[in-house]
Amino acid sequence: MTLNVAVIIKLEPDFSEGSVSYNPDGTLNRAETKNTLGPHSAVACTAAFYAKVMYDTKVSIATMGPPIADTSLQMAQRISDAEELHLYSDRIFAGADTLATAEVLKTGIQKMHGKMDIVFSGHRASDGETGQTGPQTAWKLGYTFFGNVVDYEVNVENRTIWIKRLVSLQGFNQVVEEVEAPLPVFIAIDPSYKPTFKTVSQRLAYEKYQKEAKIRSDNYKQYLKVLNVQQLEVDPALVGLPGSPTIVYKVERIPKGKANRQAQVIDGSNPEHIRMAVAKMKEALAAMVIK
Amino acid sequence: MTEGDYFHVYVVMELEDARLVPVSLEMLSEARRLIDNLNKKHGSDEKVVAVLLGHDVKRLTQTLIEHGADFVVYVDHPELKEVRNTIYTKVVSQIALDREIAAKVSAKYAEQFKKPRFMFFGADAIGRHLSSTALVELDSGLASDINKLEISDINLTHQNKTGGKQELYEKTLEMYRPDFSGFLWTTILCLDNKNPAIKRDYHPQACSIIPGVFEPLKPDSTRKGQVVEFVPRIDEQDLKVRILSRKAIKSDVDFESRKAVVSFGRGIRDFPEQNIKLVEGLAKQLGAEIGVSLPISKKPFSVSESLASTYMNSERVIGTSGKKVSPMLYVAVGISGAMQHVAGMKEAEFIVAINPDESSPIKDESDLFIKGRMEDVVPKLIEELKKQSSLVEA
Repeated sequence: MTLNVAVIIKLEPDFSEGSVSYNPDGTLNRAETKNTLGPHSAVACTAAFYAKVMYDTKVSIATMGPPIADTSLQMAQRISDAEELHLYSDRIFAGADTLATAEVLKTGIQKMHGKMDIVFSGHRASDGETGQTGPQTAWKLGYTFFGNVVDYEVNVENRTIWIKRLVSLQGFNQVVEEVEAPLPVFIAIDPSYKPTFKTVSQRLAYEKYQKEAKIRSDNYKQYLKVLNVQQLEVDPALVGLPGSPTIVYKVERIPKGKANRQAQVIDGSNPEHIRMAVAKMKEALAAMVIK
Repeated sequence: MTEGDYFHVYVVMELEDARLVPVSLEMLSEARRLIDNLNKKHGSDEKVVAVLLGHDVKRLTQTLIEHGADFVVYVDHPELKEVRNTIYTKVVSQIALDREIAAKVSAKYAEQFKKPRFMFFGADAIGRHLSSTALVELDSGLASDINKLEISDINLTHQNKTGGKQELYEKTLEMYRPDFSGFLWTTILCLDNKNPAIKRDYHPQACSIIPGVFEPLKPDSTRKGQVVEFVPRIDEQDLKVRILSRKAIKSDVDFESRKAVVSFGRGIRDFPEQNIKLVEGLAKQLGAEIGVSLPISKKPFSVSESLASTYMNSERVIGTSGKKVSPMLYVAVGISGAMQHVAGMKEAEFIVAINPDESSPIKDESDLFIKGRMEDVVPKLIEELKKQSSLVEA
């Protein structure tokens, strides 16, 4: 192997219709909502699979979670053709914030076979949405962090990587940045990432590894290693609740603001009302011209 | 460490193309308000410290003072012209821990100073990553995407933090973060472990702040403040990360120049494919750009690849975690009106909502509320719009 690549993933609520359940007040009903491999985690697996096809790569996947999170590893293996699956599972890890989670993931990645050249994460989890675990794991590993990455190429001989990333800032046009860096690096992949395979040999490799990924993921348990706090040899003071600086103090409904406007309510099945609505919309648009 | 070891709020400024990103001044304004209240309540003299990294940035220090900073620490270095996460993380952390700088910020607290009490970053493509890595380096906690802040003294009994005993946490930052649904507020605290079994200091209390939430202060040229230059230690090794090029691109999604915006939300659920096409039809008649609510960007419905890639993405999200728009006409189709969405569209001149549920919060944000299912109402609107334009043309 010339390249070792790891992906950190997360089991998340499945927001697709039919799986997701909302409470009457619009909040997520966690008990009723199914779980799945997070969509951003899936994109990160696609980026690892790109390395598999393009370079001689070993892919490893890691996640922290309850025992049932092994299904997310299976789904990730199906996408990435991984040959090493790590699940960090211990009651002690529960309730961790991003700093304590990053400690577990860092320790686990360092226990994988071979030193990782690239670690991928998704953009952010679709439930927690902090986007902090990726960069925090990167910093603990001592890897250069790049976020919002939409493309990359590895120069295997020079041990360098070329990266294309997006930078969006309030009040500015989006910037496309191209960067070159020595390995190892940590990449949080942008949701818009899409790998392309141009040559025939790449497409053949793509198909070959896809088949392999299917066979492997059908037998994912033989690639799976479940590690608890002792097996991981991580300092219990740095993980779970003791290792979490932050706590959730309270959760409340965002108070409904005062009505900002007094809506005129009309009946959508009444043709006369529809005519009136269109007239009002036209009027609103016409005001633009005068302005 | 004792409660007395942390002082001031350090606010990390952001630049793009040699100009301040607006969130920088918004954060200064909120830091000013919080620190003024804190000082008044406790009779203290803590400061708002702006941390400014870049090349040729001294010219901006006066602006920061006029917008609420008591003190500006700036670093002027050619290698800081563009943001590279590793270098920026190290320099920001060096400044946060530098006791000489802290002594210049305030002689009064120089002896005791160990770390900043609070740190603020922008919740955007720079600040999100920088805050994450810097707070690992500073070994403390971070809350992301905050839209409300308060400082309080909190009596807390917590199994883990206090070992089940009641403890007082003075000058604690309550960091409010809206969840993905837009209906819930989660308050995050960053607290020292006072539990003797796991005693540990967690300062600074840090957060990233959503751009566009807080109003910047009006510049006041009579405001006084101090400016000091910090000379950073930059590792040779980190300079091997090279930025090859940076190009600004124009987005395909253009809310700015359109008179109208038509947005859709989860109300498309019964027939997502057909309903998005209905929205397209309505937008076409109105010459409108199409926006979405945050849940839509998570691709909750299965629709054709082309519709999913065109509409179910973060670029079209209207709200605190997306764009703010202020068109002449805003049409909300199947949107319930979560606060986080409303924040992005409330400045529109005229707002029309199409919704079967009269009790949904969007009604209180609309000028015209068309009660009905979008499947029924939108085709009629399109038909009527066509009719009325052909009349005009005739």
